[in-house]
Amino acid sequence: MAPMELILELTLMPLIAFLVGMMMVLMMRRIAAKIQRRVGPPLLQPLYDIVKLHSKRTQISHGLIHDIGIIMAMGGYIAAETLLPVPGMNGIAEKGGIITLLYLMMIPSLGLALGVGQCANPNGSIGIARALTAMLAYDIPLVIVIFGVAYAAGTTNLVDIIAQQQAGGFAAWGAVEMPLLAIAGLIAMHASLGKQPFEIYIAPAEIATGPMVEMSGKYLGGLFVMQCFQLYTTSVLYVSLFLGGGTTWFDFLLKSFLVLAIPVSIAYLFPRYRTEDLLRLMWKWPVMLGLIGVAFVL
Amino acid sequence: MSSINQIPVIEAKRGNPLSKVFDELVRFCRSRSLFILHYCTGCGAIELPPAMTSRFDMERLGIQPMVSPRQADILLITGYVSIKTLKRVILTYEQMGSPKYVIGICSCTVNGGMYWQSYATAKKLDEYMPVDLYIAGCMPRPEAVIAGLQQLMNRIQSGEANSWEDYFRNYDYYLGNQQKLFGDNWQTPTDIITEAKHYNLMGEGTFGEHTRLLEQHQKPLEALDMRLGHNLKEPTE
Ligand code: SF4
Repeated sequence: MAPMELILELTLMPLIAFLVGMMMVLMMRRIAAKIQRRVGPPLLQPLYDIVKLHSKRTQISHGLIHDIGIIMAMGGYIAAETLLPVPGMNGIAEKGGIITLLYLMMIPSLGLALGVGQCANPNGSIGIARALTAMLAYDIPLVIVIFGVAYAAGTTNLVDIIAQQQAGGFAAWGAVEMPLLAIAGLIAMHASLGKQPFEIYIAPAEIATGPMVEMSGKYLGGLFVMQCFQLYTTSVLYVSLFLGGGTTWFDFLLKSFLVLAIPVSIAYLFPRYRTEDLLRLMWKWPVMLGLIGVAFVL
Repeated sequence: MSSINQIPVIEAKRGNPLSKVFDELVRFCRSRSLFILHYCTGCGAIELPPAMTSRFDMERLGIQPMVSPRQADILLITGYVSIKTLKRVILTYEQMGSPKYVIGICSCTVNGGMYWQSYATAKKLDEYMPVDLYIAGCMPRPEAVIAGLQQLMNRIQSGEANSWEDYFRNYDYYLGNQQKLFGDNWQTPTDIITEAKHYNLMGEGTFGEHTRLLEQHQKPLEALDMRLGHNLKEPTE
Protein backbone atom coordinates (compact mmCIF):
# COMPACT_ATOMS: atom_id res chain seq x y z
CA MET A 1 0.00 0.00 0.00
CA ALA A 2 1.25 3.43 -0.85
CA PRO A 3 2.31 5.41 2.20
CA MET A 4 0.08 8.34 1.26
CA GLU A 5 -2.93 6.09 1.13
CA LEU A 6 -2.04 4.59 4.48
CA ILE A 7 -1.72 8.01 6.09
CA LEU A 8 -5.08 9.01 4.63
CA GLU A 9 -6.72 5.90 6.03
CA LEU A 10 -5.14 6.36 9.44
CA THR A 11 -6.56 9.89 9.65
CA LEU A 12 -9.94 9.04 8.19
CA MET A 13 -10.68 6.02 10.33
CA PRO A 14 -10.64 7.78 13.74
CA LEU A 15 -12.54 10.72 12.24
CA ILE A 16 -15.29 8.48 10.93
CA ALA A 17 -15.29 6.66 14.24
CA PHE A 18 -15.80 9.96 16.04
CA LEU A 19 -18.70 11.03 13.82
CA VAL A 20 -20.40 7.65 14.00
CA GLY A 21 -19.70 7.55 17.72
CA MET A 22 -21.49 10.86 18.20
CA MET A 23 -24.51 9.47 16.39
CA MET A 24 -24.32 6.46 18.67
CA VAL A 25 -24.34 8.66 21.76
CA LEU A 26 -27.36 10.43 20.32
CA MET A 27 -29.06 7.11 19.66
CA MET A 28 -28.34 6.00 23.20
CA ARG A 29 -29.86 9.14 24.68
CA ARG A 30 -32.85 8.99 22.35
CA ILE A 31 -33.54 5.36 23.30
CA ALA A 32 -33.34 6.31 26.95
CA ALA A 33 -35.77 9.14 26.31
CA LYS A 34 -38.20 6.92 24.40
CA ILE A 35 -38.16 4.34 27.17
CA GLN A 36 -38.91 7.04 29.71
CA ARG A 37 -41.58 8.55 27.39
CA ARG A 38 -39.66 11.72 26.77
CA VAL A 39 -38.79 13.54 23.58
CA GLY A 40 -35.05 13.33 23.99
CA PRO A 41 -32.19 15.57 22.92
CA PRO A 42 -31.98 17.30 19.52
CA LEU A 43 -29.95 15.93 16.65
CA LEU A 44 -26.67 17.70 17.30
CA GLN A 45 -26.74 17.54 21.09
CA PRO A 46 -23.53 15.45 21.48
CA LEU A 47 -21.68 18.01 19.35
CA TYR A 48 -23.04 20.94 21.37
CA ASP A 49 -21.92 19.28 24.58
CA ILE A 50 -18.41 18.65 23.33
CA VAL A 51 -17.94 22.14 21.87
CA LYS A 52 -19.36 23.73 25.00
CA LEU A 53 -17.09 21.76 27.31
CA HIS A 54 -14.01 22.63 25.30
CA SER A 55 -14.94 26.31 25.25
CA LYS A 56 -15.27 26.70 29.01
CA ARG A 57 -13.25 29.63 30.29
CA THR A 58 -12.03 27.94 33.44
CA GLN A 59 -10.02 24.82 32.78
CA ILE A 60 -8.99 23.24 36.04
CA SER A 61 -6.04 20.93 35.69
CA HIS A 62 -4.86 18.96 38.67
CA GLY A 63 -1.39 18.44 37.27
CA LEU A 64 0.57 16.86 34.47
CA ILE A 65 -0.57 13.30 35.06
CA HIS A 66 -4.17 14.48 34.94
CA ASP A 67 -3.60 15.91 31.46
CA ILE A 68 -1.70 12.85 30.27
CA GLY A 69 -4.34 10.52 31.67
CA ILE A 70 -7.09 12.10 29.60
CA ILE A 71 -4.93 11.99 26.49
CA MET A 72 -4.23 8.29 27.14
CA ALA A 73 -7.94 7.67 27.57
CA MET A 74 -8.69 9.17 24.18
CA GLY A 75 -5.49 8.01 22.49
CA GLY A 76 -6.03 4.37 23.38
CA TYR A 77 -9.29 4.36 21.51
CA ILE A 78 -7.98 6.44 18.62
CA ALA A 79 -5.22 3.87 18.17
CA ALA A 80 -7.78 1.09 18.41
CA GLU A 81 -9.82 2.59 15.57
CA THR A 82 -6.94 2.15 13.14
CA LEU A 83 -7.00 -1.59 13.86
CA LEU A 84 -10.72 -1.97 13.21
CA PRO A 85 -11.45 -2.60 9.54
CA VAL A 86 -14.35 -0.67 8.03
CA PRO A 87 -15.74 -1.17 4.51
CA GLY A 88 -13.08 -0.12 2.02
CA MET A 89 -10.43 0.69 4.61
CA ASN A 90 -8.28 -1.71 6.56
CA GLY A 91 -5.77 0.69 8.07
CA ILE A 92 -3.14 -1.36 9.88
CA ALA A 93 -5.64 -4.05 10.88
CA GLU A 94 -3.75 -6.79 9.06
CA LYS A 95 -0.54 -6.05 10.91
CA GLY A 96 -2.08 -5.46 14.29
CA GLY A 97 -4.49 -8.29 14.82
CA ILE A 98 -7.07 -8.85 17.45
CA ILE A 99 -4.70 -9.27 20.40
CA THR A 100 -3.15 -5.83 19.93
CA LEU A 101 -6.65 -4.44 19.67
CA LEU A 102 -7.60 -6.03 22.96
CA TYR A 103 -4.56 -4.47 24.63
CA LEU A 104 -5.31 -1.06 23.18
CA MET A 105 -8.85 -1.20 24.46
CA MET A 106 -7.54 -1.51 28.02
CA ILE A 107 -5.37 1.62 27.82
CA PRO A 108 -8.26 4.09 28.33
CA SER A 109 -9.17 2.61 31.70
CA LEU A 110 -5.56 2.78 32.80
CA GLY A 111 -5.21 6.34 31.54
CA LEU A 112 -8.32 7.29 33.41
CA ALA A 113 -6.94 5.66 36.54
CA LEU A 114 -3.77 7.76 36.29
CA GLY A 115 -5.66 10.97 35.64
CA VAL A 116 -8.20 10.45 38.36
CA GLY A 117 -5.51 9.48 40.84
CA GLN A 118 -4.06 12.95 40.68
CA CYS A 119 -7.42 14.60 41.29
CA ALA A 120 -7.23 13.30 44.87
CA ASN A 121 -10.97 13.03 45.16
CA PRO A 122 -12.16 10.05 47.21
CA ASN A 123 -15.22 9.56 45.00
CA GLY A 124 -12.94 9.42 41.99
CA SER A 125 -10.66 6.88 43.63
CA ILE A 126 -13.59 4.65 44.55
CA GLY A 127 -14.90 5.02 41.03
CA ILE A 128 -11.65 4.06 39.41
CA ALA A 129 -11.17 1.12 41.76
CA ARG A 130 -14.58 -0.09 40.69
CA ALA A 131 -13.84 0.55 37.03
CA LEU A 132 -10.73 -1.63 37.19
CA THR A 133 -12.65 -4.32 39.05
CA ALA A 134 -15.32 -4.21 36.37
CA MET A 135 -12.61 -4.50 33.73
CA LEU A 136 -11.33 -7.62 35.45
CA ALA A 137 -14.87 -8.98 35.46
CA TYR A 138 -15.73 -8.49 31.80
CA ASP A 139 -12.29 -9.09 30.32
CA ILE A 140 -12.28 -12.78 31.23
CA PRO A 141 -15.40 -13.68 29.23
CA LEU A 142 -14.27 -11.30 26.48
CA VAL A 143 -10.91 -13.01 26.16
CA ILE A 144 -12.57 -16.45 26.14
CA VAL A 145 -14.95 -15.31 23.41
CA ILE A 146 -12.20 -13.80 21.30
CA PHE A 147 -10.06 -16.90 21.76
CA GLY A 148 -12.97 -19.05 20.58
CA VAL A 149 -13.59 -16.95 17.49
CA ALA A 150 -9.91 -16.75 16.61
CA TYR A 151 -9.51 -20.53 17.09
CA ALA A 152 -12.52 -21.27 14.88
CA ALA A 153 -11.24 -18.95 12.18
CA GLY A 154 -7.69 -20.20 12.54
CA THR A 155 -6.29 -16.67 12.61
CA THR A 156 -6.09 -13.61 14.85
CA ASN A 157 -6.25 -11.33 11.86
CA LEU A 158 -9.51 -9.37 11.94
CA VAL A 159 -9.48 -8.80 8.17
CA ASP A 160 -9.29 -12.55 7.53
CA ILE A 161 -12.03 -13.29 10.07
CA ILE A 162 -14.33 -10.85 8.31
CA ALA A 163 -13.38 -12.17 4.85
CA GLN A 164 -14.13 -15.75 5.90
CA GLN A 165 -17.56 -14.77 7.17
CA GLN A 166 -18.36 -12.75 4.09
CA ALA A 167 -17.22 -15.54 1.77
CA GLY A 168 -19.57 -18.06 3.35
CA GLY A 169 -22.58 -15.79 3.38
CA PHE A 170 -25.09 -15.60 6.19
CA ALA A 171 -24.52 -19.21 7.33
CA ALA A 172 -20.85 -18.47 7.98
CA TRP A 173 -21.50 -15.55 10.32
CA GLY A 174 -20.00 -15.97 13.74
CA ALA A 175 -23.37 -15.50 15.38
CA VAL A 176 -24.84 -18.42 13.39
CA GLU A 177 -21.88 -20.74 13.71
CA MET A 178 -21.10 -20.00 17.36
CA PRO A 179 -24.32 -18.74 18.99
CA LEU A 180 -23.13 -19.44 22.54
CA LEU A 181 -20.00 -17.37 22.04
CA ALA A 182 -22.11 -14.63 20.47
CA ILE A 183 -24.37 -14.46 23.51
CA ALA A 184 -21.45 -14.46 25.92
CA GLY A 185 -19.83 -11.75 23.81
CA LEU A 186 -22.96 -9.64 23.96
CA ILE A 187 -23.05 -9.79 27.75
CA ALA A 188 -19.34 -8.98 28.02
CA MET A 189 -19.79 -6.11 25.59
CA HIS A 190 -22.68 -4.75 27.61
CA ALA A 191 -20.55 -4.80 30.75
CA SER A 192 -17.64 -3.14 28.98
CA LEU A 193 -19.91 -0.26 28.00
CA GLY A 194 -20.56 0.37 31.69
CA LYS A 195 -24.28 0.80 31.14
CA GLN A 196 -26.97 0.39 33.70
CA PRO A 197 -27.07 -3.02 35.31
CA PHE A 198 -23.26 -2.91 35.19
CA GLU A 199 -22.89 0.81 35.80
CA ILE A 200 -20.99 0.36 39.03
CA TYR A 201 -18.26 2.90 38.42
CA ILE A 202 -20.34 5.86 37.24
CA ALA A 203 -23.14 5.56 39.81
CA PRO A 204 -24.14 9.25 39.90
CA ALA A 205 -26.34 8.94 42.95
CA GLU A 206 -23.78 7.05 44.96
CA ILE A 207 -20.25 8.19 44.13
CA ALA A 208 -21.05 11.26 42.02
CA THR A 209 -20.04 9.83 38.60
CA GLY A 210 -16.87 8.29 40.02
CA PRO A 211 -13.94 8.96 37.70
CA MET A 212 -15.57 12.07 36.24
CA VAL A 213 -16.19 13.80 39.53
CA GLU A 214 -13.31 16.29 39.34
CA MET A 215 -13.34 16.67 35.59
CA SER A 216 -14.42 19.99 34.20
CA GLY A 217 -14.22 21.80 30.91
CA LYS A 218 -12.05 20.18 28.31
CA TYR A 219 -11.20 17.27 30.56
CA LEU A 220 -14.83 16.28 30.76
CA GLY A 221 -15.07 17.07 27.05
CA GLY A 222 -12.25 14.61 26.45
CA LEU A 223 -14.18 11.97 28.30
CA PHE A 224 -17.27 12.72 26.21
CA VAL A 225 -15.16 12.20 23.09
CA MET A 226 -13.84 9.00 24.63
CA GLN A 227 -17.39 7.79 25.12
CA CYS A 228 -18.12 8.25 21.41
CA PHE A 229 -15.07 6.15 20.55
CA GLN A 230 -15.95 3.58 23.17
CA LEU A 231 -19.43 2.95 21.78
CA TYR A 232 -18.06 2.75 18.25
CA THR A 233 -15.17 0.43 19.10
CA THR A 234 -17.27 -2.00 21.09
CA SER A 235 -20.07 -2.34 18.60
CA VAL A 236 -17.81 -2.49 15.54
CA LEU A 237 -15.65 -5.15 17.18
CA TYR A 238 -18.77 -7.21 17.82
CA VAL A 239 -19.99 -6.74 14.27
CA SER A 240 -16.60 -7.81 12.92
CA LEU A 241 -16.43 -10.90 15.07
CA PHE A 242 -19.97 -12.19 14.84
CA LEU A 243 -21.96 -10.41 12.15
CA GLY A 244 -19.59 -10.61 9.22
CA GLY A 245 -18.38 -7.02 9.22
CA GLY A 246 -19.80 -4.87 6.49
CA THR A 247 -19.58 -5.10 2.72
CA THR A 248 -21.05 -1.65 2.21
CA TRP A 249 -21.21 1.31 4.54
CA PHE A 250 -24.97 0.96 4.76
CA ASP A 251 -25.11 -2.55 6.18
CA PHE A 252 -22.00 -1.90 8.27
CA LEU A 253 -23.59 1.05 10.02
CA LEU A 254 -26.97 -0.66 10.25
CA LYS A 255 -25.42 -3.67 11.98
CA SER A 256 -23.34 -1.61 14.39
CA PHE A 257 -26.26 0.59 15.41
CA LEU A 258 -28.54 -2.43 15.84
CA VAL A 259 -25.97 -4.28 17.93
CA LEU A 260 -25.53 -1.27 20.16
CA ALA A 261 -29.27 -0.81 20.52
CA ILE A 262 -29.60 -4.15 22.33
CA PRO A 263 -27.54 -3.37 25.46
CA VAL A 264 -28.72 0.23 25.49
CA SER A 265 -32.40 -0.76 25.47
CA ILE A 266 -31.78 -3.23 28.26
CA ALA A 267 -29.76 -0.69 30.20
CA TYR A 268 -32.49 1.82 30.85
CA LEU A 269 -34.86 -0.77 32.27
CA PHE A 270 -32.68 -1.83 35.15
CA PRO A 271 -31.10 -0.43 38.27
CA ARG A 272 -27.52 -1.19 39.20
CA TYR A 273 -25.70 -4.24 40.53
CA ARG A 274 -23.24 -4.03 43.36
CA THR A 275 -19.60 -4.65 42.57
CA GLU A 276 -19.45 -8.16 43.99
CA ASP A 277 -22.70 -9.10 42.25
CA LEU A 278 -21.25 -7.92 38.98
CA LEU A 279 -18.14 -10.03 39.48
CA ARG A 280 -20.18 -13.09 40.41
CA LEU A 281 -22.51 -12.63 37.46
CA MET A 282 -19.78 -12.00 34.91
CA TRP A 283 -17.60 -14.86 36.06
CA LYS A 284 -20.54 -17.25 36.11
CA TRP A 285 -22.85 -16.88 33.09
CA PRO A 286 -20.81 -15.42 30.23
CA VAL A 287 -17.77 -17.44 31.25
CA MET A 288 -19.82 -20.63 31.39
CA LEU A 289 -21.50 -19.92 28.05
CA GLY A 290 -18.17 -18.96 26.57
CA LEU A 291 -16.42 -22.12 27.79
CA ILE A 292 -19.20 -24.36 26.43
CA GLY A 293 -19.03 -22.41 23.17
CA VAL A 294 -15.26 -22.88 23.01
CA ALA A 295 -15.74 -26.61 23.70
CA PHE A 296 -18.00 -26.83 20.65
CA VAL A 297 -15.45 -24.99 18.55
CA LEU A 298 -12.57 -27.20 19.64
CA MET B 1 -24.10 45.93 41.72
CA SER B 2 -27.26 43.96 41.55
CA SER B 3 -28.39 45.34 38.22
CA ILE B 4 -27.18 43.66 35.08
CA ASN B 5 -26.61 47.00 33.34
CA GLN B 6 -23.98 48.09 35.81
CA ILE B 7 -21.64 45.32 34.78
CA PRO B 8 -18.93 46.71 32.54
CA VAL B 9 -18.84 44.94 29.21
CA ILE B 10 -15.42 44.88 27.62
CA GLU B 11 -15.50 44.31 23.91
CA ALA B 12 -13.07 41.66 22.82
CA LYS B 13 -10.68 43.02 20.20
CA ARG B 14 -10.50 40.35 17.55
CA GLY B 15 -9.77 41.46 14.04
CA ASN B 16 -10.17 38.16 12.27
CA PRO B 17 -13.67 37.84 10.78
CA LEU B 18 -13.49 34.08 11.25
CA SER B 19 -13.14 34.55 14.99
CA LYS B 20 -16.56 36.24 15.03
CA VAL B 21 -18.12 33.19 13.45
CA PHE B 22 -16.26 31.06 15.94
CA ASP B 23 -17.49 33.12 18.89
CA GLU B 24 -21.00 32.88 17.55
CA LEU B 25 -20.71 29.10 17.32
CA VAL B 26 -19.32 28.84 20.83
CA ARG B 27 -22.11 30.98 22.24
CA PHE B 28 -24.69 28.93 20.41
CA CYS B 29 -23.28 25.67 21.73
CA ARG B 30 -23.07 27.11 25.23
CA SER B 31 -26.72 28.04 25.12
CA ARG B 32 -27.79 24.65 23.77
CA SER B 33 -25.89 22.53 26.24
CA LEU B 34 -26.50 23.39 29.86
CA PHE B 35 -25.60 21.11 32.70
CA ILE B 36 -27.48 21.98 35.82
CA LEU B 37 -26.49 21.41 39.38
CA HIS B 38 -29.66 21.57 41.36
CA TYR B 39 -28.78 22.49 44.85
CA CYS B 40 -32.03 21.56 46.51
CA THR B 41 -32.14 24.06 49.33
CA GLY B 42 -35.84 24.55 49.90
CA CYS B 43 -39.29 23.38 48.95
CA GLY B 44 -38.96 24.58 45.35
CA ALA B 45 -36.83 21.55 44.54
CA ILE B 46 -39.95 19.48 44.26
CA GLU B 47 -40.80 21.15 40.96
CA LEU B 48 -37.60 20.02 39.29
CA PRO B 49 -38.29 16.28 38.89
CA PRO B 50 -41.42 16.94 36.78
CA ALA B 51 -39.47 19.48 34.75
CA MET B 52 -36.80 16.89 34.05
CA THR B 53 -38.86 13.76 33.50
CA SER B 54 -41.42 12.70 30.95
CA ARG B 55 -44.01 15.42 31.43
CA PHE B 56 -41.89 18.46 30.61
CA ASP B 57 -38.56 16.90 29.53
CA MET B 58 -35.78 19.44 29.85
CA GLU B 59 -33.41 17.30 27.82
CA ARG B 60 -35.07 18.34 24.58
CA LEU B 61 -33.59 21.79 25.24
CA GLY B 62 -30.19 20.29 25.94
CA ILE B 63 -30.43 20.72 29.68
CA GLN B 64 -29.39 17.80 31.80
CA PRO B 65 -28.63 17.31 35.45
CA MET B 66 -25.03 16.80 36.55
CA VAL B 67 -23.84 15.76 39.92
CA SER B 68 -20.68 17.63 40.75
CA PRO B 69 -20.05 21.39 40.67
CA ARG B 70 -17.01 20.96 38.45
CA GLN B 71 -19.14 19.63 35.61
CA ALA B 72 -22.04 22.01 35.91
CA ASP B 73 -22.86 25.30 34.18
CA ILE B 74 -25.97 26.37 36.02
CA LEU B 75 -26.42 26.47 39.75
CA LEU B 76 -30.10 26.24 40.55
CA ILE B 77 -31.00 27.51 44.00
CA THR B 78 -34.41 26.10 44.63
CA GLY B 79 -35.87 27.89 47.60
CA TYR B 80 -34.95 29.58 50.82
CA VAL B 81 -31.28 29.58 51.74
CA SER B 82 -30.49 29.27 55.40
CA ILE B 83 -27.24 30.80 56.55
CA LYS B 84 -25.61 27.44 57.06
CA THR B 85 -26.69 26.38 53.57
CA LEU B 86 -25.45 29.60 52.07
CA LYS B 87 -21.89 28.74 53.08
CA ARG B 88 -22.13 25.52 51.11
CA VAL B 89 -23.79 27.28 48.21
CA ILE B 90 -20.91 29.74 48.00
CA LEU B 91 -18.31 26.96 48.17
CA THR B 92 -20.17 25.15 45.40
CA TYR B 93 -20.50 28.27 43.29
CA GLU B 94 -16.81 29.09 43.52
CA GLN B 95 -15.82 25.60 42.41
CA MET B 96 -17.85 25.72 39.23
CA GLY B 97 -16.01 26.44 36.03
CA SER B 98 -16.89 29.70 34.36
CA PRO B 99 -18.91 30.69 32.38
CA LYS B 100 -21.37 29.79 35.08
CA TYR B 101 -24.89 30.94 35.72
CA VAL B 102 -27.01 31.12 38.84
CA ILE B 103 -30.77 30.84 38.78
CA GLY B 104 -32.80 31.60 41.85
CA ILE B 105 -36.04 29.67 41.79
CA CYS B 106 -38.76 30.66 44.28
CA SER B 107 -39.67 33.95 45.90
CA CYS B 108 -37.56 33.11 48.90
CA THR B 109 -34.37 33.66 46.92
CA VAL B 110 -35.58 37.02 45.64
CA ASN B 111 -36.35 38.73 48.92
CA GLY B 112 -36.74 36.18 51.65
CA GLY B 113 -40.34 35.40 50.79
CA MET B 114 -42.31 34.10 53.68
CA TYR B 115 -39.13 33.63 55.68
CA TRP B 116 -38.54 37.38 55.72
CA GLN B 117 -38.68 37.52 59.48
CA SER B 118 -36.56 34.48 60.07
CA TYR B 119 -33.19 35.07 61.70
CA ALA B 120 -31.76 31.98 60.05
CA THR B 121 -32.19 32.62 56.33
CA ALA B 122 -30.27 34.77 53.93
CA LYS B 123 -32.75 37.10 52.32
CA LYS B 124 -31.44 38.26 48.98
CA LEU B 125 -29.36 35.77 47.10
CA ASP B 126 -27.77 38.36 44.81
CA GLU B 127 -26.00 40.00 47.72
CA TYR B 128 -23.78 36.95 48.01
CA MET B 129 -23.29 35.88 44.42
CA PRO B 130 -24.30 37.29 41.04
CA VAL B 131 -27.66 35.86 39.99
CA ASP B 132 -28.51 35.68 36.31
CA LEU B 133 -32.18 35.04 36.59
CA TYR B 134 -34.91 34.83 39.18
CA ILE B 135 -37.99 32.74 38.70
CA ALA B 136 -40.48 34.03 41.22
CA GLY B 137 -43.39 32.12 42.61
CA CYS B 138 -44.12 30.08 45.65
CA MET B 139 -43.30 27.70 44.07
CA PRO B 140 -43.00 28.26 40.31
CA ARG B 141 -44.58 25.60 38.11
CA PRO B 142 -42.34 23.53 35.83
CA GLU B 143 -43.58 25.61 32.87
CA ALA B 144 -42.24 28.71 34.57
CA VAL B 145 -38.91 26.99 35.31
CA ILE B 146 -38.54 25.97 31.69
CA ALA B 147 -39.59 29.41 30.44
CA GLY B 148 -36.92 30.90 32.70
CA LEU B 149 -34.30 28.51 31.40
CA GLN B 150 -35.22 29.41 27.84
CA GLN B 151 -34.81 33.07 28.66
CA LEU B 152 -31.36 32.27 30.02
CA MET B 153 -30.56 30.37 26.83
CA ASN B 154 -31.48 33.42 24.75
CA ARG B 155 -29.34 35.63 26.91
CA ILE B 156 -26.38 33.27 26.63
CA GLN B 157 -26.73 33.15 22.89
CA SER B 158 -26.77 36.91 22.57
CA GLY B 159 -23.78 37.15 24.89
CA GLU B 160 -25.51 39.09 27.67
CA ALA B 161 -25.35 36.44 30.35
CA ASN B 162 -21.94 37.17 31.76
CA SER B 163 -22.76 38.18 35.27
CA TRP B 164 -20.31 35.54 36.49
CA GLU B 165 -17.58 38.04 35.62
CA ASP B 166 -19.17 40.33 38.15
CA TYR B 167 -18.14 38.02 40.95
CA PHE B 168 -14.50 38.58 40.05
CA ARG B 169 -14.82 42.27 39.21
CA ASN B 170 -16.72 43.13 42.39
CA TYR B 171 -15.43 40.47 44.71
CA ASP B 172 -15.04 42.97 47.53
CA TYR B 173 -18.79 43.70 47.59
CA TYR B 174 -19.79 40.05 47.68
CA LEU B 175 -17.10 39.17 50.19
CA GLY B 176 -18.23 42.02 52.41
CA ASN B 177 -21.77 40.70 52.52
CA GLN B 178 -20.49 37.22 53.19
CA GLN B 179 -18.31 38.45 56.03
CA LYS B 180 -21.27 40.29 57.51
CA LEU B 181 -23.11 36.98 57.82
CA PHE B 182 -20.35 34.51 58.58
CA GLY B 183 -17.97 36.64 60.58
CA ASP B 184 -14.60 38.13 59.74
CA ASN B 185 -12.82 34.79 59.66
CA TRP B 186 -14.70 33.62 56.59
CA GLN B 187 -12.46 32.04 53.98
CA THR B 188 -13.34 29.72 51.13
CA PRO B 189 -10.92 27.14 49.76
CA THR B 190 -11.03 28.82 46.35
CA ASP B 191 -8.71 31.78 45.91
CA ILE B 192 -10.91 34.15 43.92
CA ILE B 193 -8.39 36.96 43.67
CA THR B 194 -5.69 34.75 42.16
CA GLU B 195 -8.24 33.35 39.79
CA ALA B 196 -9.34 36.82 38.75
CA LYS B 197 -5.70 37.73 38.08
CA HIS B 198 -5.17 34.56 36.08
CA TYR B 199 -8.18 35.05 33.83
CA ASN B 200 -7.60 38.78 33.53
CA LEU B 201 -10.88 39.64 35.19
CA MET B 202 -9.66 42.25 37.66
CA GLY B 203 -11.98 45.16 38.16
CA GLU B 204 -12.37 48.29 40.24
CA GLY B 205 -14.10 46.36 42.95
CA THR B 206 -11.92 43.30 43.15
CA PHE B 207 -9.92 44.77 46.00
CA GLY B 208 -11.26 46.71 48.92
CA GLU B 209 -11.44 46.78 52.66
CA HIS B 210 -13.03 43.34 52.85
CA THR B 211 -10.40 41.62 50.77
CA ARG B 212 -7.76 43.30 52.92
CA LEU B 213 -9.45 41.80 55.95
CA LEU B 214 -9.39 38.43 54.21
CA GLU B 215 -5.70 38.73 53.42
CA GLN B 216 -4.88 39.30 57.07
CA HIS B 217 -6.05 35.89 58.15
CA GLN B 218 -5.96 33.96 54.89
CA LYS B 219 -4.33 30.58 55.23
CA PRO B 220 -2.56 29.28 52.14
CA LEU B 221 -4.21 26.30 50.53
CA GLU B 222 -2.63 22.94 51.11
CA ALA B 223 -3.05 19.66 49.33
CA LEU B 224 -5.28 17.22 51.13
CA ASP B 225 -3.61 14.60 53.23
CA MET B 226 -4.58 11.36 51.56
CA ARG B 227 -3.57 8.96 54.32
CA LEU B 228 -6.36 6.88 55.73
CA GLY B 229 -7.32 7.86 59.24
CA HIS B 230 -4.90 10.77 59.39
CA ASN B 231 -6.98 12.41 62.07
CA LEU B 232 -6.65 9.45 64.39
CA LYS B 233 -4.11 9.65 67.14
CA GLU B 234 -0.81 7.85 66.71
CA PRO B 235 -0.78 4.71 68.83
CA THR B 236 1.31 5.26 71.93
CA GLU B 237 3.57 2.44 72.94
S1 SF4 C 1 -40.93 30.58 47.75
FE1 SF4 C 1 -42.42 29.24 48.73
S2 SF4 C 1 -42.02 27.22 47.83
FE2 SF4 C 1 -40.23 28.49 47.44
S3 SF4 C 1 -38.82 28.07 49.10
FE3 SF4 C 1 -40.02 29.87 49.67
S4 SF4 C 1 -41.72 29.06 50.86
FE4 SF4 C 1 -40.83 27.33 49.74
